[in-house]
Amino acid sequence: MLVVTCPVCNASGDETDFHYGGQAHVRRPATTDPVNITDEDQRDYLFIRHNPKGLHFERWRCDRGCGKWFHAARDTVTMEFKATYGITELPPAELIKEAKGPWADYFKKRLKEKA
Amino acid sequence: MLEPQFESALAHRAAPDTLSISMREISERGMIDLRGLATDKKFMSAVKSVLGFDLPKAPRASTSWGDLKALWLSPDQWLILCTRSKTNSLLAELNAALAKIHSLAVDVSDMRAIIRLEGESVRETLMKGSSLDLISDDYKAGTVRRMRFAEIAALLHVVEENVIDIYVFRSYAEYTWAFLTKAARKGAEVKLFKR
Repeated sequence: MLVVTCPVCNASGDETDFHYGGQAHVRRPATTDPVNITDEDQRDYLFIRHNPKGLHFERWRCDRGCGKWFHAARDTVTMEFKATYGITELPPAELIKEAKGPWADYFKKRLKEKA
Repeated sequence: MLEPQFESALAHRAAPDTLSISMREISERGMIDLRGLATDKKFMSAVKSVLGFDLPKAPRASTSWGDLKALWLSPDQWLILCTRSKTNSLLAELNAALAKIHSLAVDVSDMRAIIRLEGESVRETLMKGSSLDLISDDYKAGTVRRMRFAEIAALLHVVEENVIDIYVFRSYAEYTWAFLTKAARKGAEVKLFKR
């Protein structure tokens, strides 16, 4: 059983008090650049998801608690929640460093945009 | 003209004397669902002008003043408790004060049924239907927590160390009552903690 802590109401609870909401940080191409959307971009947005062994980033909802959505970094091997953070935020810096594969590429891109 | 008659969800139920805790319905309570932004100073001061106290901003906290109580449900939602007969006048005052502010106040007195549980083993009894660690310091008097209880959505309000109010949607009142009368019967106490 997963033990989750909501970053909004700071309450810890069992997996059953929360609701999984799919992969985190999925961005709709039409939001950023509505004119130049390729079929590949749209396909990736709708259907393509990461499936890493290890550190993964997800959306969760404090379903039976405060009702707010938040982000979570979870290890898919140990099932450990490494961190939970706000729905508009990027993960803590040390977890961004730990990220591998497509996640590492994604955060690199995001941080470049931010700078 | 016939007048509509109000009957609380559990009016026909009395707690059996075979329970290890005491259990009764609280029906004389009015409830107002209040939504607005805690970061909006106008909203917070308008509410204060009506209630006479600040809405709790800390997660899962509650504030009380005389007959009135405010329970924190979410960063933008509170449940105001008052005497049932005063709900309409309080709601009118709130709506007048909040007229030009982005907010919402609705009378939800009949939306939920309230069951008051009292006794030494209250927390252990509730833990039979919940995955939360209700024994921890997180659940001291005044704490409010919406949670999953016996597979349904419930709102828990710790009134005192051994007094807990549980709010469930009215249509689940009968089910909750039946669950609790089984979970709390004498001889079925969970004896995991020293007293």
